[in-house]
Amino acid sequence: MTDKIYVPADYVPILIQSLVALGFVALTMFATHFISSKRKRIRTLRKDENFECGIEVQGNARFPFSVKYFLVAILFVLFDVEIIFFYPWAINFLQMEWREFFVMLLFVALLLFGFYYIYEKGALEWNNDE
Amino acid sequence: MPNLQIIPLDYYIIFCSALFAIGVVGVLVKRNALVIFMSIELMLNSANLLLAAFSAYRNDPAGQIFVFFIMVVAAAEVAIGLALLVMIYRSTHTIDINVLNKLKW
Amino acid sequence: MKAIIALSILAVLNMFFGVRKMKKVLLPLIFIGLIITMILNISDWGKSVHYFNEMFIADNFSIAFSSVLILIGILIFMFANIYYKGVERPLEDIYALILFAIIGGIVMASFGNLILFFVGLETLSISFYVLAGSKKFDIASNEAAMKYFLTGSFATGFLLFGIALVYGVSGSFNLEAINTYILGCNGNVPMIFIAGMLLIFIGMSFKIAAVPFHFWSPDVYTGSPTLITAFMTTAGKVASIAAFYRLITIAFISLHSELTTTLTVIAVLTIIVGNLSAVYQDNLKRMFAYSGVAQSGYLLMALIVLGPKSAGILLFFVLSYVIATITAFAVLMLIREERGTFFIPAFRGLAKNNPVEAFAMAIAMMSLAGIPPLAGFMAKYNLFVLTAEGGYTWLVVVAVIGSMISIYFYFKPILASYFSEGEPQHKIESSVNFKINILVLSILMILLGFLPQVIINLL
Repeated sequence: MTDKIYVPADYVPILIQSLVALGFVALTMFATHFISSKRKRIRTLRKDENFECGIEVQGNARFPFSVKYFLVAILFVLFDVEIIFFYPWAINFLQMEWREFFVMLLFVALLLFGFYYIYEKGALEWNNDE
Repeated sequence: MPNLQIIPLDYYIIFCSALFAIGVVGVLVKRNALVIFMSIELMLNSANLLLAAFSAYRNDPAGQIFVFFIMVVAAAEVAIGLALLVMIYRSTHTIDINVLNKLKW
Repeated sequence: MKAIIALSILAVLNMFFGVRKMKKVLLPLIFIGLIITMILNISDWGKSVHYFNEMFIADNFSIAFSSVLILIGILIFMFANIYYKGVERPLEDIYALILFAIIGGIVMASFGNLILFFVGLETLSISFYVLAGSKKFDIASNEAAMKYFLTGSFATGFLLFGIALVYGVSGSFNLEAINTYILGCNGNVPMIFIAGMLLIFIGMSFKIAAVPFHFWSPDVYTGSPTLITAFMTTAGKVASIAAFYRLITIAFISLHSELTTTLTVIAVLTIIVGNLSAVYQDNLKRMFAYSGVAQSGYLLMALIVLGPKSAGILLFFVLSYVIATITAFAVLMLIREERGTFFIPAFRGLAKNNPVEAFAMAIAMMSLAGIPPLAGFMAKYNLFVLTAEGGYTWLVVVAVIGSMISIYFYFKPILASYFSEGEPQHKIESSVNFKINILVLSILMILLGFLPQVIINLL
């Protein structure tokens, strides 16, 4: 760790990244507006309901939620956290040879296999009742 | 990381030990399985924090790499723990661990 | 290392074929894969290769214990089709978890660095948590999985905090570096290091079910599916004791003379409590859980006196324990399928109707109890001689008394099957394959009893 003094100009990359992230959101919102059907907005009871992650609101909030939703949440946590191993890899990216690149590809391949497995097992199918 | 080292290392050790002790007591005292999970997470995270502090003081990245492994393992454990909890809830309709008394000597 | 790669590929292939619903392929594939893995593993014998900056050390010790773990896998899969008879779905998830648990065990037998130790331990434990609960709609299995998960991750917390403290003081996760640090202290090891080391020991005691951290094991082993119980008692114990041995002999060897008191107390308590509690059990599965606790105590004895032969004796002890336990559980599984109970009366008249099964059960129980000339006796004999030579005569006396108590409960099923009064139970149909398997295992137990030096001198 060198004791480098940081000047504000060093933070420009962060600014750029924030702009890109915000820009993506703005762009998608604009684009969906543009490519959706041309009809005027119609207010219906359905549309005015609270939107809660795609599940219809059903009475009390303490109503036990779908196990499928829970399953997807667990799978999300697993895949989300596996990505943490990219972080040290990315930090040392510049000093790496091709070998390390392929090692990471292998890691991603294993993750993808896990995804293939849960997909084939039907863990991501919403409409399939037990 | 010069700024970090202004705080004496002892403080980190004491703070992490306190967190760890809170986690241990939580596991031993609480009867709700979810709260026990949270207490176990607290124990793991106190170890994480301690490792990160030692790593910063020693300028040795090995400690931080270990933290990554712990985080991944903790996530896997939580996923499994919650899945087990759903399983228990389906058969008993409660997550109080006192219902787990079928197996006794 | 080759073994780990081969096993990972095997597990992934197994999941692939399972999800494609090719049920017929799975077990043959696993057998071929495990045998290839065994050959690859043994091919490194004597080379002592170090991988990834000393993280993974494949020396003779680790290869020997990895071979035992792969052998456990082969034996468990041998009896898998009997236990899961009549299950339609491919079961690839359970098979894959067993394979992943073996990978974790191999890592635990071969680590050179605390990071890898932790990763291996968790690979093993997390697979076990799921396997314990794999009988999804059985409340006992759910309960076993939940209890195992809670106590197991509690122990992991202790272990991790201990590792963090040891790292903070010594500045490295490498076992050799930790030893160098202890030597550099010249006897003035900081208190915080000792605290960390003891926390690691508490974590490990949980994992090998040593008293006073054994309370989870009877419940977990009773509630889990029987095949999985056989796997967990054997694989878990082998991997944990190998890891414990590695930790003590490489990292903490310079503090060993200070540690012996702690280890002795734990070993004595484990032997006494394990054997005495097993006496009161009528449920055989639960009795096996308590006797497994007692066996952990004997295993810990090998860590107290470290001689040139202790690794070999540990290996022999573990091998005889594994073969006897899996044979006994195989017969138990068969009886449970037919009679629906684990209690002693289910064995009534077994010798008359099923002589092969009764013989195998008797040999396994006698080997576990330590009756000469079986493998279990030679293992205990060598272990006790080693301990006595180290000057712990009273410990040997305690262990012998424990063994004598264990004869009582190990002989219960033998007496029930050979000499019981009352109405004998009807005959149990079993395949020729099963009979051959358990006969081979029984002969192996007898043979090992005559040739202990072959195994002991390996290490």
